[in-house]
Amino acid sequence: MPDQDPDSGASASARLCPEAEIVEGAARGFDLGEDGVDTMFVVRTGGVLRGWRNACPHIDGAPMAWRKDAYLNADGSRIVCHAHGAEFLPETGLCVSGPCLGRSLTSVPLTLGVDGFVLAEPRK
Amino acid sequence: MKIIGLDSLVFGVESVPDAARFLVDYGLTPVDITASGGRFEALDGTSIEIAHQADPRLPRPPAPGCRLRATVMGVNDTDTLAQIAAELGRDREVRKLTDGSIESVDDSGFVLRFQVTVRRPFSLAGEISNAPGSPFLRPINSLGVPPLGTIIRPRTLSHVVYFVPDVLKAEAFYVNRLGFRCTDRFTGAGPFLQPGGSLDHHTHFLIGAPPHMQGAEHFTFHFGGPSEMIANGYRFAEKGYQSFWGPGRHILGSNWFWYFNSPFGCHIEMDADMDMHDAQWKPREASLGADTSQTFLMKMRPKWSPGPGTPVNGDYA
Repeated sequence: MPDQDPDSGASASARLCPEAEIVEGAARGFDLGEDGVDTMFVVRTGGVLRGWRNACPHIDGAPMAWRKDAYLNADGSRIVCHAHGAEFLPETGLCVSGPCLGRSLTSVPLTLGVDGFVLAEPRK
Repeated sequence: MKIIGLDSLVFGVESVPDAARFLVDYGLTPVDITASGGRFEALDGTSIEIAHQADPRLPRPPAPGCRLRATVMGVNDTDTLAQIAAELGRDREVRKLTDGSIESVDDSGFVLRFQVTVRRPFSLAGEISNAPGSPFLRPINSLGVPPLGTIIRPRTLSHVVYFVPDVLKAEAFYVNRLGFRCTDRFTGAGPFLQPGGSLDHHTHFLIGAPPHMQGAEHFTFHFGGPSEMIANGYRFAEKGYQSFWGPGRHILGSNWFWYFNSPFGCHIEMDADMDMHDAQWKPREASLGADTSQTFLMKMRPKWSPGPGTPVNGDYA
């Protein structure tokens, strides 16, 4: 269970999950506010884990998955907002197709804890 | 020229199994399903059809990124099909397909098919509330909440919403060429449209949007009433599907709504209890905004109840 919501302004990191649990080409969402909607999600591409707010730039705050953790297209090459089909590069978060073309997802910085847990850093 | 309404929407999807599971969980009944796609029916036979996005049998999308490949509308008879073919044939190609339907394109590039409707008449009471003084009450001893686990099925394909680059041109096509009428309008967004053979507030809603957004915004089926629609949405969300907007109740059309994200590049809605209008109705116009698009909005939360074992703050911590 996460300790803190990175949106809350608190200084502590949120503990997400063991790093090895998110495999290449997979995504997982985290409901840090515990209000039934994922606050953020983590994607692993090219071996690298990256964190993003679950908020499409098209409509501020709009959740992106179509099912729990379903943030990617079928071959895992793009992050997709399943509201209107916007597609984002998983390396940069840049929208390359759809209503918010040219805009970007908001990054959530991640670090790795000494116990192998992925930590989401609070927003500055 | 009386078009009855939507018979089917045809989508090209990335993953047939994922889309199939989504539609079954929504409540539709799979028919003639293979690994390459199939049809998912409501109670009256109206449907969503899916195929893999690379399937050469699918028409081309009107714009890149649009997964909606064809909108199928039903009419009463072959005479009406011939009228539509003659009207559209004046300035565009109209193809006769092997199943007797005809295919053409609207002024925005959406592929349209017309067929003698597949809709099967059915009789099944909808939700009736025991309002004191009302002449319409539930039969005595019948229950407002059906037994746990009762299957909820969408009744009929209700409406589709298009993002179109030129909303005036798009509206003119449906009104002047296909006999639709505007029932209400959001200023700066677009018209709600009703075809000549329907009393529903709308089967189509057009929203003006930049060309790169062209495509479907959402589609929806009518459910038997607000309780049924919300119960179905609640079950759907509990299965992990992601709510986008709702549940709530629209003002124009009065339909209860709950929108979810989908693997179809657009939202899917569940709706219930839409207003019905005839030619006597005078269209209203409203500015699009939060206060004009819903009379109230609710948000799903996990079930809890006050009582023994409840934490001191209940579920409000």
